[in-house]
Amino acid sequence: MSDKSATATDGRQFILAFDAGGTMTDAILVKPDGSFTVGKSISRREDEPRSYRESVTDAASNLGLTAEEVHARCGADIYCGTGMLNTVLTGNGRKVGLMVTRGFEDITVMEGGLSYLGQSQNETLHQQLHRHTRPLVDPKNVFGISERLGGGCYQGNIHLPPGAALIPVNEKQVVKAVNAMVDRGCEVIGILFLFSFVDARHEHQAKAIAERVLRERGVSLPVVCSADVAPVSKENNRLKSLLFQCFAAELVRDSLMSVETQAKAYGYQGRLLTLLSYGGAVNMEYERLYETMISGPIGGLIGAQFIGEKLGIPNIVTADMGGTSFDVGLIVENRLAITKSADIAGHRLALQMVELDSVGSGAGSVVWVDEYKRLHVGPDSAGAKVGVCLNFDRLTVTDINVVMGYVDPDYFLGGQVKLDRDKAMAALEEAVAKPLGLNVYEAGAGVLDIVNTQMNDLLRTMIAAKGYDTHDFTLLYYGGAGPVHMYGYAEGIEFADVITLPWAAGFSAFGAACAEYMHRYSRGLRTLIPNGLGEAEQTSIAQQIRSAWEGLEADARMEMQHEGVDPDKVTFRYGVAARYIGQLESFDTSLDSGEMNGPADLQRLIDAFEAMYTKVYPDGARFPDAGYSLTAVHLEAIAPKPQPVLAEHPLSPPEPDATAFVGSREVYHAGQWTTFNVYEMANLKAGNVVQGPAIIRDPMTTVVVPPGRTMSFDKYRVLHYK
Amino acid sequence: MAVISERVIPTAKTTTQAPTLRQMVSERDRLTRETGHYCGVTDLSLRDADPIRYERFYNKLHAAVLAARESARFVAASPGSREMGECLWGITTPEGDTLAVSMGFLSHTAIFPVAIRYMADNDYDVNDGIEDGDVYAVSDGKTGGVPHPGDFYSFTSICHEGEVVGWAVGINHLMENGAPVAGSWATFSVDTFMDGLVCPPMRTGRKLRQESWWKAIWERRTRASTMNILDDKMRLAGCAMINDAAHQLLAEFGADYYKRAIREVIEESRRMIVDNMRALMVPGTYNGCAFRLVKYEGLQNVWSHANKNTLIHVRASVEPNENGLMLDTEGSSRWGYHSYNATPGGADAAVFLGMINSFAHNTKVTAGIELAVQRHYAPGSIYNPDYEFTSNANLWAQTVALNSIGFNAVSRATFSRGYLEEAFTVDGNWGAFQGAGTTADGTSYGFTNFEWLGGTGRGAWCYKDGEPLVWAAWSQIATIGDAEEFEACVPPLFYLGRKLLPGYFGYGKYRGGPGNSAVHWCVEPGKHVALTRPNGGLSCTTSVGLGMSGGYPGPGSFMISARGTNLPDLIAEGETPRDARELLAQVDSGQLRVENLEIWKTDCPELALHDHDLFVDAAGSSGGWGDPLDRNPGLVIKDLNDGVAPDYDFVSRMHGVVAAQNPAGEWVLDVGATTEKRAALRKARLDDSLPAAEWWQQERAKVLAKQVVPEVHEMYSQSLSFAKFDGEFRRFWQLPTDFSFSKE
Repeated sequence: MSDKSATATDGRQFILAFDAGGTMTDAILVKPDGSFTVGKSISRREDEPRSYRESVTDAASNLGLTAEEVHARCGADIYCGTGMLNTVLTGNGRKVGLMVTRGFEDITVMEGGLSYLGQSQNETLHQQLHRHTRPLVDPKNVFGISERLGGGCYQGNIHLPPGAALIPVNEKQVVKAVNAMVDRGCEVIGILFLFSFVDARHEHQAKAIAERVLRERGVSLPVVCSADVAPVSKENNRLKSLLFQCFAAELVRDSLMSVETQAKAYGYQGRLLTLLSYGGAVNMEYERLYETMISGPIGGLIGAQFIGEKLGIPNIVTADMGGTSFDVGLIVENRLAITKSADIAGHRLALQMVELDSVGSGAGSVVWVDEYKRLHVGPDSAGAKVGVCLNFDRLTVTDINVVMGYVDPDYFLGGQVKLDRDKAMAALEEAVAKPLGLNVYEAGAGVLDIVNTQMNDLLRTMIAAKGYDTHDFTLLYYGGAGPVHMYGYAEGIEFADVITLPWAAGFSAFGAACAEYMHRYSRGLRTLIPNGLGEAEQTSIAQQIRSAWEGLEADARMEMQHEGVDPDKVTFRYGVAARYIGQLESFDTSLDSGEMNGPADLQRLIDAFEAMYTKVYPDGARFPDAGYSLTAVHLEAIAPKPQPVLAEHPLSPPEPDATAFVGSREVYHAGQWTTFNVYEMANLKAGNVVQGPAIIRDPMTTVVVPPGRTMSFDKYRVLHYK
Repeated sequence: MAVISERVIPTAKTTTQAPTLRQMVSERDRLTRETGHYCGVTDLSLRDADPIRYERFYNKLHAAVLAARESARFVAASPGSREMGECLWGITTPEGDTLAVSMGFLSHTAIFPVAIRYMADNDYDVNDGIEDGDVYAVSDGKTGGVPHPGDFYSFTSICHEGEVVGWAVGINHLMENGAPVAGSWATFSVDTFMDGLVCPPMRTGRKLRQESWWKAIWERRTRASTMNILDDKMRLAGCAMINDAAHQLLAEFGADYYKRAIREVIEESRRMIVDNMRALMVPGTYNGCAFRLVKYEGLQNVWSHANKNTLIHVRASVEPNENGLMLDTEGSSRWGYHSYNATPGGADAAVFLGMINSFAHNTKVTAGIELAVQRHYAPGSIYNPDYEFTSNANLWAQTVALNSIGFNAVSRATFSRGYLEEAFTVDGNWGAFQGAGTTADGTSYGFTNFEWLGGTGRGAWCYKDGEPLVWAAWSQIATIGDAEEFEACVPPLFYLGRKLLPGYFGYGKYRGGPGNSAVHWCVEPGKHVALTRPNGGLSCTTSVGLGMSGGYPGPGSFMISARGTNLPDLIAEGETPRDARELLAQVDSGQLRVENLEIWKTDCPELALHDHDLFVDAAGSSGGWGDPLDRNPGLVIKDLNDGVAPDYDFVSRMHGVVAAQNPAGEWVLDVGATTEKRAALRKARLDDSLPAAEWWQQERAKVLAKQVVPEVHEMYSQSLSFAKFDGEFRRFWQLPTDFSFSKE
């Protein structure tokens, strides 16, 4: 590995990770012992390098260092942001010209009919109010091209094979379209032809013609093919991936490169990285940059994966409670659970994305009662205004936590911000207690019970819907409000363990620092494995799979080498998308190795598919009689990257030091006022055991330990709840 | 890892101590009838005592069905189930009343109690008992309430301590259901014996697994067995998840709480829905009608009693009352020897499409809607046949119009109350095609392409134009799926176009959202491929027959078969037809030569296709709102320039707009000439009009002389056989008492 991939122990020991949100840009500066410090600045979308400068300078100053000193010792610099998503939401992307298969010119307007993505069931039922999402391309810049390839059929090899040439690419139409797009001021050209995921040759042929026309006209425009962006079935989803890449990613790439330039100006010697929506980090030259659209929650899941590997925990359910939502994700057998079609900002993409689910319950969620005396929590949120206790005009969950004594109004953000408990109390009385005929504390307890139940249900559903058992999972909770509510949302679910970390509030950013340098590749297949195949046929299929993987391996090595990675250091993980013959949906199946030479390996693949399938569905849903179909091969390519170190500490006695004890306060918990001991997180040591009722305070969060429960610090200072 | 089905299934065979299904159904009926509250629940005692626990209970119930769909649908083989709204899961009371439903075609909730009542009446739980996890198949309209056999239901029992406490239900629309006419809507059926695989409630499995013989039914009685078996497994997978969740709820909350809470959630939602109706509607009677032609004459020589054309009269009135509203279909046609009959269950499935959208979207979606919407389907009518063997294979082709009538009543009400954002023109003009084939190697297959069932244009609002492809009255989740997936289901058919059809909407001050059109190209069909089309909106006078405030309703659906073409010439030119409009223009210009061109505005007999034959369809149009002469001329010009309504001569006549093209080819409005043209058109309207009294006299004379074609004559004869319509008709036309429309 070159100096671009220096490890955390060779002199460049710091790791920088940024979360450039809509309002604030957070910098996490991870020290070699795994601890971190936080820097903040206002997000300036028009000048991201400035936000970067200010936040990293703030973080560095906490250690008495300059930004230059930090960058000189920085082994990895990861920058996550919402710039691309904001580009889509605001419609300020590049002017796109699009060539599609003739007859599909309206596809961008029709968008498959999807006009309710991201809505709850109640909203969806009110169909009168559905609207299409604003198109990312002017319909007048969409041009039909006469061409057709066949895609094969589900019934197997009973008709024309996949990729059969039906209508050749009409070169004249491509030339005419490209000239028209240039004349109309298009800034990027996309190409979407039917079944290009099976065979990309028509798209690539049109691209070559387009690039020739552009050269002849002396114009330089990117030409992007859907098969190169998202080579998977379903043209509507593939189109959205293509448009995100054309409309937003190419534009944002420039801004991200300017941030990298800033980092280099400070003396950083590596490449600036960002996070993929399915995990892994890539640099800003990554071809399919739209895959980095979602990065915030991804960090938390990657962090959970990192912690799981360090602690030997294969199955983790993550619970991230922030200001506006409660996000739940799964790590199964140390792997991120992935969904194949992501819904983002009203668009459904053919994008691999870590599987996350959310409810609109966060610390800032608004609490209200409707005319039917139904209690609601969210989805509106106070955001940074916290609640009535600070400067918001509606009751929030944080207000109730302050009233009930869980949150200390004098120690919010370490005491930098004072909260008004009396105002919160009055708001709770008015908004909930009176309408429901309850006293104020019963009302507050009821609201928290609803919030906790919603989150509890999401946790259960997320696990149960996949057919898993909670006993096999460790709950890892984080986010600013996660430790406050854990006692409630974990109640009644029997997990293998329930853990958090002292830096729970900044865990997502920490997770970003843990991301591995990984690219995921897929290639469509239409391979059938009917029952009763002979040995020679099975060997042939195995070799087809092996050959497809080898092609992806070559692509990965080439792409990573272009990004500055030593191709000899790249390692691979293998998988396939498989299904019973006749099914439409394929299921990602991970394999132990890339060995695929004959019938035994093929049987290993089938066994892996059956094992995966029966984890999700009851036995009655199996259909092995139908035989099997492979629709894609997957490959994950991994390059080495510096990682934070989870520091080990000597174990102290269970009893915390006197310095850790802050005092005590009354909390209305489980229907009565109870005295909770208060401890300072920073002064609790590995080996300590905090007995409930207790509160562990930290400037960024509050950990609630109910009566009869304990919180134990292990040698990594990971907190275990019993 | 644990597997969901590892939970031990209790052998809770219904015991003699537990109430029988018959007793439970009877008691539910009695208490509801006597008290006016569901099951006699006058107080929401659990909710009032502990609203938080109550909501928590329902959250869990609801989460179970949502999760069942989101997980189980991926087992499916058919695009309609996996990608689109053509599936549903629910959980019900022991009597089959809905407690919670997933996303999907949720008006089917109204049907659940029909099958359970049949099982109760026939003592299924007594002989030979019902155990937890028993699986029942249902696809019969008469005994199961199923709209048509193409919609297939799986009921699985939830038993606790020897008592049936509920049902998990899964439904989806099959790709093929084994009727003489291949596909999933058996057009041209004469009676139920031609409807394909029709199952009265019958046990097909135990302990959440199907019996081995059940697979043979799919393999031997349908043309798409693999897809149907996988869809069957999909339904069962979701039901197993719901069954599991119900037992967890029983364990957590206790059986007493469970049994009481399931009554309260239905009563609670009933009350909220009635409140919504009062808030949104103006008292009065909202009438509506639509017509659907059944063109069988000449096509039913084998079954001579069915060899005639029929014009179906779809008629309904909606009247708000203190308990919600009454929807009365009396005056609609009688049943016939065709595939368009409904049963009360099937009619319910249509009626509740709009009712759930309008009144239940802010409530818990339960059987409460069925209590708030009272229905009258006159015995002997097409919605309640008094012949037990009617075919109901293609009822949707006319019942969507019934839904539109009810939905438009609500739209008119909200317009009257001033809820303008809720008021728009409702249509349900869907399309699909279906068929079967055999490839050169002898492989047989059946198919249904649901795409234009997945989404349609939405009609104009009272203040703005409608939108394309944003509406699916039957599922609320408009999704047409992907061409790449549908094409893969039908080996020899390839898309040459899938787009919006210019000018294909109802005109008005505000126009409807454009409908859709696709072009399918036949390549190497092998031994045989043929298709039919079962559309709603096909061969209707219009889909609803009424415009809104002077706007035109959406145009009907249609299809074109172009057999024996010179398509290779057009391929060479790169100018293959992309939609119905372009194909006809190419035929007119001589560019596309066709040996056998047929435009089908009625149901077509099976169309066999050969190499380079084309099948083109159009569906999903929607209606306009307001007088077309009131349309902002700027919007007319914009539609011209955007290609949405590209025929200048037509829109000039329709909207009274005058424009000319500039050198760049863009249309530019002539303001002065437009004003003059509009004034002239308005004057012409007046000149062509008659005083209402004079018009009435002229029309009355036609009625007295019975000057109508045979199909209309029979239609009136049937409708007038119902007292309510007979009275209305006689009063309006002031007919003599001895007047009769019956055959002399």
